[in-house]
Amino acid sequence: MITVKDLTMRFGDVTVLNGISEQIEKGEKVVIIGPSGSGKSTFLRCLNLTEKPTAGSIVFDGQELTGLHDRELNLIRRRMGMVFQHFNLFPHLTIRRNITLAPVKLGILTKEQADDRASELLKRVGLADKADAYPAQLSGGQKQRIAIARSLAMNPEVMLFDEPTSALDPEMVGEVLELMKQLAEDGMTMVVVTHEMGFAREVASRILFMADGKIMEQNSPAEFFSNPKSPRLKDFLSKVL
Amino acid sequence: MGFLESFRQNFIEENRWQYLTDGLKTTLIITFFAVIIGMLLGFLVAIIRSTHLRTGKLLIPDLICRLYLTVIRGTPVVVQLLIIYFVIFASVPISKTFVAVIAFGINSGAYVAEIVRGGIMAVDIGQLEAGRSLGLNYRQTMISVIMPQALKTVLPALANEAIVLLKETSVAGYIAIADLTKGGDIIRSQTFSAFMPLIAVAVIYLVMVVLLTKLVNLLERRLASNDHR
Ligand SMILES: Nc1ncnc2c1ncn2[C@@H]1O[C@H](COP(=O)(O)OP(=O)(O)OP(=O)(O)O)[C@@H](O)[C@H]1O
Ligand SMILES: [Mg+2]
Repeated sequence: MITVKDLTMRFGDVTVLNGISEQIEKGEKVVIIGPSGSGKSTFLRCLNLTEKPTAGSIVFDGQELTGLHDRELNLIRRRMGMVFQHFNLFPHLTIRRNITLAPVKLGILTKEQADDRASELLKRVGLADKADAYPAQLSGGQKQRIAIARSLAMNPEVMLFDEPTSALDPEMVGEVLELMKQLAEDGMTMVVVTHEMGFAREVASRILFMADGKIMEQNSPAEFFSNPKSPRLKDFLSKVL
Repeated sequence: MGFLESFRQNFIEENRWQYLTDGLKTTLIITFFAVIIGMLLGFLVAIIRSTHLRTGKLLIPDLICRLYLTVIRGTPVVVQLLIIYFVIFASVPISKTFVAVIAFGINSGAYVAEIVRGGIMAVDIGQLEAGRSLGLNYRQTMISVIMPQALKTVLPALANEAIVLLKETSVAGYIAIADLTKGGDIIRSQTFSAFMPLIAVAVIYLVMVVLLTKLVNLLERRLASNDHR
């Protein structure tokens, strides 16, 4: 579904991604872990060209993205949901409007259809009673569930998560991870940057370990945790587990 | 000469009060249309500049905008007014009020631009990224996501800029426009008494500014009370 080849990203003369090649299949749940500053966010943000890579190629559903014009990229981005660490809900809009804004503006749904869809999604994320609230009135966990609903409103084929629970109070992490598990069970293709090792172990079809702008090691969850090979990963796991 | 006598001489005699009312009308007309031009120009410049800062596009328009900002903010408004009247429109028979509207509008636009640009840049970059990640294009994201938030934060500052402009138009007399200030000055030159007409002019400005400032404060409180952030 997504094929990354020799992906390189430099900010000035700092190389943040150092020639990454990776393949993500439809239905896979790829979890990315690694130390701070290793380039996880940058890698994820390159996948939908939020960040424009310095070199390399990203092929999504047979289409090379790096050379595309904005207009074509916008069409691609509709098909790739993105969930941010800090939610990035639109504070001036109600929850319903947060969810319906893009489908309506882009002419995918009529306002009525979008409202129905929003109600359906709100039920799915367990926040049916919050349709007319504003983001500021919600807890962090609720905000993130709305952000996920907002992404889902576009019917994405893949969802990118950048540390979706890192900004949450501990008691709210569970509700968001639970929703993500549901998504995974429903067959969504997911790429998740996270520090939640339990989630990785339980949900991932594959775990990638990033360090120094490279994917150092990858494996199935069982092998990944029980049988790490590189010293860097052993060291990392000894710190986080 | 007593207070009442002086008052009569300066304002009642020969209907001199009309210098003030006519002047006030001119001042308000110039301010009103200059504010509109300033807002239009300011928003345009702000959007060009912030678009360049955020996306790297619009390099040449951005350069032009920066030149405009530097020149306008680096020179006195009176000098701009004089140049626009005596140099740019020198050979064009044109209403002075119109020239003043253009001059003050162009001047105000520079300050509006910086206020609005500040408001746009103050909106978290994550808002733009969220909008774009949903497939909205830059323009759609600006219109539906960024500008409503930016506008709300800059509205009080914009209103204050309009109030500042009201006072700044008092130099319109330099191109012989009979605005409020000039009106008072004309009375002074006729009656040879400075106190009454000039204090009257000052009081009229002061009352307008105080009232408008009250309105802005009210607006500010209204905005804060339905703040969803
Ligand atoms: N826009 C940018 N300009 C300059 N440097 C950047 C930019 N974005 C990221 N970097 C740098 O790139 C490196 C990798 O950043 P990235 O955010 O991808 O790391 P990360 O693995 O997600 O870390 P974390 O776990 O802290 O989120 C960091 O050193 C960061 O400072
Ligand atoms: Mg990160």
